[in-house]
Order: sequence, then structure tokens, then C-alpha cells
Amino acid sequence: MRGRRRALRFVAGILVLAGIVAAIASPQAALKALQLPLFALFSTSRMVAAYLIGLVFAIAYGHTAATSRRAALIMLPILDVLQSIPILAFFPAALLFFVVTFQGSAIGIEFAVVFLIFTSMAWNMAFGVYESLTTIPQDLEAAGSSFGLTGWLRFRLLEFPAAIPKLVYNSILSWTNGWFFLVASEVFQVGSSKFARPGLGAFIADAGRNGDVGSIAIGLGVLAAVVLALDFFVWRPLSVWSERFRMDTASGRELAKVPRYEPFRWMPRFPAVRRTIIARAHPATQAYHRASVRLDRAYASHPNVVRDVRVVDLGLFVIVLLLVVTTGLIGLGQLFLRPLPPEAAGLPWAALLSFSRLLLAYGIALGWTIPMAVVLGESERVSRYLTPALEIFASLPATALLPVILGFSLAVVASTGGAAQLAAILIGLFSMQWYLLFNLVAGVRSIPQDLREAARSFGLRGRPYWRRLLLPAMTPSLLTGSITAWGAGWNALIVSEYIEYAQRPYTVTGLGSLINQAVLVTGDTEVLLLTILTMIVVVLAMNKLVWRPLLKRAAIRYRLEV
Amino acid sequence: MAEPHPLLKVKDVTKSYFEDGKEFKILDLIRFELAEQDFVCVVGPSGSGKSTLLRILVGLEKPTSGEVLFEGQPIRADNPQVAMVFQSFALFPWLTVTQNVELGLEAQNVPLPARQTRARRFIDAVGLTGFENAFPRELSGGMKQRVGIARALAIEPLLLCMDEPFSSLDPLTAQNLRDEILQLWSDPQLPPKAVLMVTHSIEEAVYLADRVIVLSSRPGRMVAELVIDLPRPRNRKEPEFYGWVDEIYSLIV
Repeated sequence: MRGRRRALRFVAGILVLAGIVAAIASPQAALKALQLPLFALFSTSRMVAAYLIGLVFAIAYGHTAATSRRAALIMLPILDVLQSIPILAFFPAALLFFVVTFQGSAIGIEFAVVFLIFTSMAWNMAFGVYESLTTIPQDLEAAGSSFGLTGWLRFRLLEFPAAIPKLVYNSILSWTNGWFFLVASEVFQVGSSKFARPGLGAFIADAGRNGDVGSIAIGLGVLAAVVLALDFFVWRPLSVWSERFRMDTASGRELAKVPRYEPFRWMPRFPAVRRTIIARAHPATQAYHRASVRLDRAYASHPNVVRDVRVVDLGLFVIVLLLVVTTGLIGLGQLFLRPLPPEAAGLPWAALLSFSRLLLAYGIALGWTIPMAVVLGESERVSRYLTPALEIFASLPATALLPVILGFSLAVVASTGGAAQLAAILIGLFSMQWYLLFNLVAGVRSIPQDLREAARSFGLRGRPYWRRLLLPAMTPSLLTGSITAWGAGWNALIVSEYIEYAQRPYTVTGLGSLINQAVLVTGDTEVLLLTILTMIVVVLAMNKLVWRPLLKRAAIRYRLEV
Repeated sequence: MAEPHPLLKVKDVTKSYFEDGKEFKILDLIRFELAEQDFVCVVGPSGSGKSTLLRILVGLEKPTSGEVLFEGQPIRADNPQVAMVFQSFALFPWLTVTQNVELGLEAQNVPLPARQTRARRFIDAVGLTGFENAFPRELSGGMKQRVGIARALAIEPLLLCMDEPFSSLDPLTAQNLRDEILQLWSDPQLPPKAVLMVTHSIEEAVYLADRVIVLSSRPGRMVAELVIDLPRPRNRKEPEFYGWVDEIYSLIV
């Protein structure tokens, strides 16, 4: 804990220094930067709004899918598809919908931005809730039933607490995704009309478009500070707190001491602040408790209410689903009834190029993250010094790094075409590598101590040690990391293959640039839809044919039974 | 002595699972009765469907045919007159000892002060005074099961059902808890009126029960229903005790 705080102070120092240097170097940028706290507040509010909607959605969706087997039959595959397709590709359509609905007013654009962030946050949380509820130990369920827990009481005492560890874990993931999407969505251009809402993402994007290096640096600094502060003051304490809700499957076995729980213990340790917050929160928690008791009573006296609510819920879901599916089918039918546009012939080639770039980025990411993860996982000391630095880099969403990466590529490669290629690959790398690294580190850390000791006592070292212990133990986390990384990579395609920097566009051939061309230049919805369709087919095929089978085999073969 | 009041009637309970169109019979025509003051143990080798039988008896599962009546009514899982103790304890890891014990009372909308008094009484009865605010993971196995027992007793059930409650505990702790259960059962001031317990330990059944139901394995059929008339407290070293153990052992093998 103390090490972390020192690290944070260190980081803050560097950021302040960097800010001062940047401010002296370009006073104009510093003047603009005065608006940044306000921008940071706007951006964070959008994230919070999207997160809260996502949370409610995730609980409702996951709960319904977990409690009704018939509903799960359609709800799970839909969730699976939503989770794996690159949602960013749909943003122009969603934006147009909201802008048209609200007649071009700012509120419409805000709704569109929040909606886009929501789509990047909700699915994995819903899966988390579903998984938690379906893996509640049978005896615990039986105890709940035999002691008469039903309705709201069951949710409050059994189901919601059981879902907390996975919800918190997935919330952290969702916020990472959310920042990536926020930066991409605050400025958007459809045809000749440009939509922008004030925020950190818009600030950085604008600076990049004008080639204003000072503003780019300051904007990135503030973004990193906001992300790290939220991580330090909200997510870390919350994940410590959520440990309390983990099931200990091995009964009777002595577990590591868990500190006694006291309310708001997870708040940062400023006693005065904590006391004030507890005092302030007390009426609210009391009110919540009273409301809960009333709800318990209401449900207990009208047991049918729960069923009716669920029926209405499911009915609405089916209606929306039918509407979406029929409009989608009609659209598809119209698309394929007409002769295909000439650009369609280039789609396989574009898909191949995009895929190769991602594959290259994935290879580079694997090349450095596997050894790095082993070093970080095995050595407490290296990890203590290196992890904070890595976390700072990881806190910057790849979308925010666009101008920096392109600037770097232009400086390194002489030809503009080559620079655009390099930039596209690097952005892919930056969106993929962190998911791999942090998953792999967790994998190395999860190797039980007695296995390590056994390896040591049999004299395993060097190659045999890697082949017999490290690599097999890392396989499951490598696969989960890879799936998330590729998901992020496909999303990154949309922004990485068409970058506007210092008043001119840099493009490479690929699916992402086809989408951008269609939206920004030609306005050809037919090509747009066909490109998105191609992308979805490639992504789903890869999930079904590569990742799922691998994951299934790894789950059987390489699971570490403790 | 008046005829004891009957509590549970098990009428020809049969349970089968169907897989690939084939029927797998787990329990076959189980039939017995249980009255107030009874302490009944069901013993059988693994695969005799003992745990499934208990889940059916408390209403957590439905029998394929036959029925289970509690005081003349078909049994329901949330019946407040029947409480259950689990082999794996099944404590809610996020609730304190007190909150776990209060679980059934909370479901019955017992107001908070009454709930706390009653929880306190049963926490004391199982000897956990001083651990009211501890979380399950801070307790040893034996203490966890005491919480499980206190939680079951707190709803003041007529019938206490236990599914191998002592088999994940060390022998010494298990023996202490057995004696405590006997004490609670024989105390007219305290619930429960009757106890039904499933176990694979023949010695345990002979030590505790005044009636033992012996099941065969695959499918579980009733091989015998024996009345153990040894005086209490029972001594495991006496030849009569061993006579019973040997008799049941020969029935199972």
C-alpha cells in the first residue's frame, strides 16, 4: 500500500513537471489547458452515466438469462455476438439515429456518445452476472430456498452479493474499454458535418488535427491523471472490498487472513474524511435498509409480482429483438438484391491486409509480454518498480495516442505511405498488448507455491522450467488475454487506418479505412454496410473456429487445480 | 404414554433420471414415517441416493413418483417448520455469524429486535458466544457447522434435517457436536421435536438414532428399518453397541 502511494506521488510529480515544461514551451497551449479540468469533468460524467446504465442493464440481463433457461437460449448467443463484434463500426449509424431523433441538438450527440460508451461497457458485465449466478454453489442455493429467501430478499442477500466479485472485476475492464471509446466518440464527422462535444477526447483529437504538440502532451497528461486517480481511489479499494464476497470452495481449509470488515474501510485512509463520509452516508444507508425491508414485505405479500415483472421484461426484450432482427433482415435483403458496388471486389483483400496488420501487432505483443509477464510474476522487486510505470502507459487508451504514434511514425519512416502502415500496426499493438500483459501476469502469479517448489526441488531450470511449468500454467490466461486483445484490435482498426494529422489524412488499405472513406468522403452506405458485414463475419469466424476450441481444450488440460 | 404426533409421511418415493432416453433409478419405493420425539438416521453406501432422498424429503427436489407429506400437507422447500443442515455448511460468505443465523427469520419478516434476541440465544446454545460478528471464513470447520446448526435451530423447526453434517469435520469435533445435537433434541425447551439425519457412518447412526433406515445401493431400496433400543448415553465400547453395528454392516455388504 505504501509502495503504491509512493509510486502515485512519483507519477504525480512527473505529470506536474511535464505540465510545467509543456506550459513554458508553448504558452498558447497552456492557456487552452486551463479549460482541461472542466473537460475532464465532462468526459468523466459521460463515463459515469454510461457505466450506471450499463450496470443496471447487466444485472437485469444477466439475472434474467440466469434464472430462465428458455430466455437464456436466445439471450446468451446475442450477448456473445454483441461482445465480439467491433461495435465502433456501428457508431456512425447510431450517431445519425440520435442526431436525427433530437434534430441535431447537443443533447442528441450527448446521448450518442453515452450510448457508444455503454455498448463498450455492458456486455462483459452482463456475462459476469450470468456466470456468477449460475455458479452459486448448489448447497448455498438450497439453503436460500429452504430458509425461504424469495424475490427481493433473495436478490439482496444471495444473488447480488454472489455477483459482486465478477461485477467489480468486469467494471474495471469496462472502464478501460470505455475510455477507448470515449476518446473516439467525442469528435465525429459524418459526411461534411462535424459533431463535437467538449471533453478530453475532443481536446486531444483537435490538437492532433492541428499538429499542436504541446496541447497533445498536456491533454494526454490530464487523461492519464484522471484514469489513474479513478483507478487508485475507486477501483483498487473496490476490488479489495469485493474479495469479501468470494466463495471459498475448499471448506475447512485455512485461508489467508482477511481483515475484519468495517463500513467504508476501503475508502482511502484519511480518517477525518472517512468519518465525515460515514456520517453523511448513514441516513442514506438507513433509508436504503428501510426501503429494502419494505420491498421484501411487498414481494413476500405479492409473490406474483416478481413473475409478472419478469414476464413483462421478457416480452419487451422479445419485441425489441424482433424489431431489430426484422429491420436488419429487410436491410440485408435490399443490400443483396441490388447489384454489388464495384468496391465490393476489394473487400477480401482489404480484410486480409487488416488481419495481417493485427496479426503482426499480436506477434510483437506476444514477443515482449510473455517474458515481461514472467519477470513481473516471479520477482516481487522488479514488479514493485516496473508495474506503476506500465500502468501509466496502459492507462492511456490507444485512441488518445493516435497523434503521438503517427508523429513518431512520420519521424521514423521517410515515406508517408510507410509511416501510415507503421502507425496502423503500432496502434493495433497499443490496443492489444496491455490485455495480454496483465492477463499473463495474473497467470504466472496463480501458479501454486508447491508447484514452484516441486520444480525447484527436481532441479527444473531454463528451458525445461518454461516448457513444463511456466508456459502450460500461462496458457489459459494467454487465451483469455488474446480474445480480449483481438476484440480491442478489431475496434482499433476503425481508427488506426485513417488518421487525420496536421490537416491531412493518412490512410492505408484495409477494412477500417474503407469504413472511414464511406462515412467521411463518399457517404456510400452500401459500401459501409458491406464492410461492416465482412468485418463481423471475419471476427465471428475467428471466435468460433480458433479461440473457442482452443479455450475449451486449455480449460481441460491446463487448469491449475488447487 | 400417548401415541406420538406424526410429522412426516414418506409414501412410496421413487426417483429416476433420464439420459438418452434411458432410465436411471436412484431411489426405489422408499416408505417410512417419522413422529415427534423420533431421531431417525438413514444409512447406506455411496450411490444409495441418501442425499437425493433428503433433498426430496425437505422439498428441494420433486420425486418421480410417490409423495412426501408434512403434517398432512405436501412438503414445500420453504416450510418454516423444517430446517436443513448441510455437509458443506452452505454459509453465506458475505454475512456475519449473526446475519447467517438470522437468515430464516429475516425471510419470515420477524422484526429486528426479536430476530437479534433469538439469534443470540441459539448462538449461545451452540457455544459461539463472542463470535457474533465474525465472518464464516474466519471460523474453523467445526465452528462453521455450529453456525449452520444455529441457523437451522433459530427458525424453531419441528423437524431438523441433516445431510452428513459431521463428515467434513475432524473426529473429535464431530463427536462433540453429536453430543450437543443429542442434548438439543432431548431438551423439551428447545427445538427441534424430531431429527432426521443422513450419514454413511454406521457407528454414528447407532450412536445417535433410535431408528435406523438402511438403504442398498443403485438403486436405493429400503433393506431394513431397525429400532435401536440401547439406553442413552450410549457407549461405543459395549458389545451390544457392536452387535448393532455388525448387523447393519452385514445388511449393507
